[in-house]
Amino acid sequence: MVIVELSDVRKVYPLGKVEVEAVKGVSFAIEKGDFISIAGPSGSGKTTILNMIGCVDRPTSGIVTIAGTPTKDLKDKDLTTLRHDTLGFIFQTFNLVPVLNVRENVEFPLLLGKERGSKKEREEWIDYLIEEVGLTQWAKHRPNELSGGQRQRVAIARALVGKPQIVLADEPTANLDSKTGEQILELMKKINREMETTFIFSTHDARIVNIADHVIRLQDGLVVENVRKGEDAIAATAAEAAEAGQGGRS
Amino acid sequence: MKTLVKIAFKNLNRQKKRSFLLGGAIAFGIMVVTIINGFAGAFAKNIAGNMADLFAGHVFVEGVEKSAKGKPVEVIRDATVLNEALAASRVDSRLVQKRSAADATLVFEGKKANQSIWGADFANESYLKRRLVLKEGSYDDLLAPNSLVLSEKVARKLKAELGDKVLVQLKTVSGQNNVGEFTLRGITHDMGLFSNMLAYASRDDLNSLLALGPEEFQLYGIMLDDLSKAEPARDALVAALKARAQVFELSAAEVSPSGAAGMQSRYYKLNRLAKKESWEGAKYRVFTINDMISQVEELVKVLNSASLVILAVLFVIIMVGISNTFRMVMYERIREIGTMRALGMQRPSVKRLFLLEAGFLATGGTLAGLAAAGLVMLILSLFDFGTGTFFSLLMRNGHLTFAVGPVQAALNFVIVLALTLLAAYLPARKASRLEPAVALRSTK
Ligand SMILES: Nc1ncnc2c1ncn2[C@@H]1O[C@H](COP(=O)(O)OP(=O)(O)OP(=O)(O)O)[C@@H](O)[C@H]1O
Ligand SMILES: [Mg+2]
Repeated sequence: MVIVELSDVRKVYPLGKVEVEAVKGVSFAIEKGDFISIAGPSGSGKTTILNMIGCVDRPTSGIVTIAGTPTKDLKDKDLTTLRHDTLGFIFQTFNLVPVLNVRENVEFPLLLGKERGSKKEREEWIDYLIEEVGLTQWAKHRPNELSGGQRQRVAIARALVGKPQIVLADEPTANLDSKTGEQILELMKKINREMETTFIFSTHDARIVNIADHVIRLQDGLVVENVRKGEDAIAATAAEAAEAGQGGRS
Repeated sequence: MKTLVKIAFKNLNRQKKRSFLLGGAIAFGIMVVTIINGFAGAFAKNIAGNMADLFAGHVFVEGVEKSAKGKPVEVIRDATVLNEALAASRVDSRLVQKRSAADATLVFEGKKANQSIWGADFANESYLKRRLVLKEGSYDDLLAPNSLVLSEKVARKLKAELGDKVLVQLKTVSGQNNVGEFTLRGITHDMGLFSNMLAYASRDDLNSLLALGPEEFQLYGIMLDDLSKAEPARDALVAALKARAQVFELSAAEVSPSGAAGMQSRYYKLNRLAKKESWEGAKYRVFTINDMISQVEELVKVLNSASLVILAVLFVIIMVGISNTFRMVMYERIREIGTMRALGMQRPSVKRLFLLEAGFLATGGTLAGLAAAGLVMLILSLFDFGTGTFFSLLMRNGHLTFAVGPVQAALNFVIVLALTLLAAYLPARKASRLEPAVALRSTK
């Protein structure tokens, strides 16, 4: 089942008097439950694409469909609700709320929307997630008392607390040493398998794409490789994609 | 909302120094204004209280007769009807004093001064004995015949010293010129504006000069145990006196007229009635200390409005600081705002988060300011400023006193809160309008 679909998506940033075309017409589809890597060198458009999937930014043109909802005409309020209900975020710089402790950070997204389930269920779920990321002893600590890897674990628990269908992670390991980075990726992979949450993460590290079910490689704002494990390359080159008019699986 | 409150509160603790400075500025403003309010609040009370001592009463009765020519003559020939009315009114009086008074010209070795003189009962007025602080001379000497007490200022003007004989020129109650010789036996401390109230002679001596009999007098002063009971006591006395004698009464429209006449004291208006009306025999007017000094209440209103202006000016300055700080805060926390927005926080909540923080700042600052004001007022009230100056009329026994009404304090708080929220509003709105992608990309 397709959960994310981009169709001829372009993003142009105004930069003073000139314009920067960060994404130049990209189409692809993502299957529910996959562990997807968006790879590419710096400046290739990874963050821009993740932002559009994450509904924190809008494409200049093209259509982004998240969990069956075309996002084009949604108002800010509805986009925010969609983010809250459907998406989880993990950031390169962790982005925890500094004044809240680990447990409060994990709980935070739950407090933003309508209450779901009983208080007891929610408490247990938060405890479970904190245990899952191995931070039970640190639950009462503030982010500034934690290591980078620990902070990113908090962020992972926070991203999962709303039981989102999709978790987006923009270079989640870039600020971590390689060993910690591997552990974080393994944790994400484990959760991906256990909870069947779709993970989309970006990286410019070619070595860590192996772990992914589906690799979308970008170059200069275009998809240059789109391969799902066990399937043929979907559109191996940008030229092919452009020729086909759209690069996604249909 | 609970989450927002919690985060807003914790955010204040992040930059302790900054919160402290801003909160301190708010606290300072509140403190200054509260002290002014407190002073103004006690000001009227103290003046009235001190005047009550000098005038020997809280509620007064004056009697007026019309002369053959139709001129009002201020005299009470017989206190019986007043004593009866007082008894019937059930007013709880502590003591009653009878005084006469005259506007006189004092002459000493070619120097002149205008002065109103009280004719007091030196032997029996216990209040006067306690309140009249003599710089020179002693109270007991005043019991000698033809004694005169003047304020330092007037004595200096006349270049008269203790023991000097001063001529007192005045008009008798019926308007004849008369003159008498008095001996200066007491000099009071100078009290500026109020020095004029501080000249005393014995009532018997003054009466003979005024062509009043020894039992006659002009002012019937009733001392209550508390100033706050003055107005009900006045009304009860008027009711009781009406059944026995003629009484001047103001119509409701005259009591609280609109426009400029609102500034005139009740006493002034009662006085005017005696000129307009005609009657036979004695007619009385009843009034309180407050009726005489209603201008003081106006002054209190002016002081309180001035304090509001000070509050406003201080807070316009403080608002600039708050506004700038919140703009800075917005940039400092831009990525945090982006994160919260990404995680599903709606725009209005972002705004609310900022405004809550500002609200906490205003509340904390106000509480601290009130506490500081309380402390300052407490310390100030411990000093004994002495009783010998004009300012002592504003104090109680030489001590500053303060009275801050809860309504006034609440009003100040509401103003501060509103201004703080206003100052934080624009940065808050700007923060709420940030595009999450832009906020997240920020490198701050
Ligand atoms: N707000 C912006 N204004 C102007 N240009 C921008 C803006 N954001 C991104 N760009 C440009 O768009 C292009 C793609 O940027 P993007 O951040 O998506 O790349 P990236 O693949 O995430 O790179 P990195 O690995 O460095 O994070 C770059 O050339 C970048 O300079
Ligand atoms: Mg990037």
